[in-house]
Amino acid sequence: MSTTVLTKKAAPVGTTSTATGPVTLWRTVVAEWIKFVGLRSTVWTLVAMVVLLVGVSVLAAWGATTALVDAGPGQGNVAQYLSAGYQLAQLAVAVLGVLAMGGEYSTGAIRTTLATVPRRWMVLVAKAIVLGGVIAVVTLVSMVASYVATMPFHSTLGIELDFADPDVGRMLVGLPLYLVAISLLALGIGALLRHTAAGLTLVVGLLLVIENVIALVPLKLFDLVSPFLPMTAGSKVLFDSDTLAMIDEASTGANLTPWVSFGVLVAWAVTLLALAMVSLRRRDA
Amino acid sequence: MIEAQGLTKRYGSTTAVADMSFTVEPGRVTGFLGPNGAGKSTTMRMTVGLDAPTKGEVTVNGRRYVDHGAPLREIGVLLDAKAVHPGRTARRHLTAMAATHGISRTRVDEVIDIAGLASVADKRVGGFSLGMGQRLGIAAALLGDPQTLILDEPVNGLDPEGVLWVRRLARSLADQGRTVFLSSHLMAEMALTADHVIVVGRGRVLADAPVSDLIAAAHGERVRVASPHAERLEAVLRSQQATVVATGRDSLEVTGLSAAQVGDAAADAQVALHELTAIAGSLEDAYLQLTAEDVEFRSAPMDTHETDAMASQNEGGSR
Repeated sequence: MSTTVLTKKAAPVGTTSTATGPVTLWRTVVAEWIKFVGLRSTVWTLVAMVVLLVGVSVLAAWGATTALVDAGPGQGNVAQYLSAGYQLAQLAVAVLGVLAMGGEYSTGAIRTTLATVPRRWMVLVAKAIVLGGVIAVVTLVSMVASYVATMPFHSTLGIELDFADPDVGRMLVGLPLYLVAISLLALGIGALLRHTAAGLTLVVGLLLVIENVIALVPLKLFDLVSPFLPMTAGSKVLFDSDTLAMIDEASTGANLTPWVSFGVLVAWAVTLLALAMVSLRRRDA
Repeated sequence: MIEAQGLTKRYGSTTAVADMSFTVEPGRVTGFLGPNGAGKSTTMRMTVGLDAPTKGEVTVNGRRYVDHGAPLREIGVLLDAKAVHPGRTARRHLTAMAATHGISRTRVDEVIDIAGLASVADKRVGGFSLGMGQRLGIAAALLGDPQTLILDEPVNGLDPEGVLWVRRLARSLADQGRTVFLSSHLMAEMALTADHVIVVGRGRVLADAPVSDLIAAAHGERVRVASPHAERLEAVLRSQQATVVATGRDSLEVTGLSAAQVGDAAADAQVALHELTAIAGSLEDAYLQLTAEDVEFRSAPMDTHETDAMASQNEGGSR
């Protein structure tokens, strides 16, 4: 009835400000960055990650000084204190990784995401770039903060950041790389399971429960498997030579060098991401 | 323009969409009408590449959706108001979408204004009502100023003002020569909004015609007749191959004969008439007729109005 009259009053829709270009990977990265920082959950999880990394570093250094009151200064280097919080911080990292894709499925936002960027590989790659970049930067910032926060204990402990020590460079580069790899592994799991709760349970269960149980139970089979589990393998880049020697001595399984061992973690992450990519492209959203 | 060719989607043994072929033309509002579970949403999801067809193909402006370099520019889509992360603000959701196509923030502000969301644009979507969510979905669909719009149940959850807004918007977009394809299970809404209707049931196209044709075709000519001797009249009319439904103690609804023929038949049989009215068809009648056998979830009929011609014939025969 009144439609013809109403037409005249209809809001303008097309305008000059609608210049568009094709979807590119870089544009998708920008979009994923906007999405990433626009959520309270990601911001708070990053804060938790920093607090855990810095807090555990300070606690470890402070704890070492109190232990040294009797024993006197011993060997050690600052790098090992900077990465002291990796086990706890990796939980925050894993949460971010699982949420990146799992959260989109749990909320239904994935339908908008994939309708906007129908070349789906771009979405997963963009998320990996944003996630990995953020984790690397935040880890480096946390390490600087940890260094500053532990300075009061350095002289008491008789430690310094000695770059001549080949272990130190590896350990300093190792922490951001380790956490980035964990985040990508979690991203892959979240994308495969398409569910936040299931993804979190699996990642945390794998890293904290399964790995620790397998490491603690003295079964020959477990001893063989243990060096190839993600956390056990990847974290070898975080330890100095003395600690690594102790680890290798305690294990009857494979004794991989730190970087080869880290390669095992990378293989986990890459495999899971590859499976996630296949699943993303094949399955209906 | 949207073209579906033999589009089929199976989930295990369930066929959601069965060999659908249709064309949605630009310059008019095309309604996609069917009961719940008829395959409307699945068809729309396949159109924008979210679901892969089991067989067949659907193209937008001549290409598959995934083959468009800048899909938002070609086709804007509202699938459901829940395709947004509740933790993000409306503006951020739109800004992120815009970023993928290099669309300016000015345009984001524009669609926020068009959708009437200015006052809530910086609030998190989780707190939105269904109607506000629908408005955000429509804002997102308009973002790339697309030539084709797909809106799945756009008036769902909107207040009367919002319903009117969608109706005007669809009309003005079509008048600009764009393709507007909107689904609904609300016939009344379709009758007001759409120029052309594709009716589907159980995953099949049941009708693809202008709204006016559908209404004209509904029930052919229907005549309401009242008589103190309704039963006798019913028998007379049945003998003339008419379909007769008793709608009350004294009234009948007749299909297959004109009002004049019913009147003549009554006169010949010497049955007094108290009423003789030709009833115009409605889209609702057309729709119910078309989908009568294709409703997946059927409720027991509450009154005779809902009974379709086939059912009443069977009823009559078993009397």
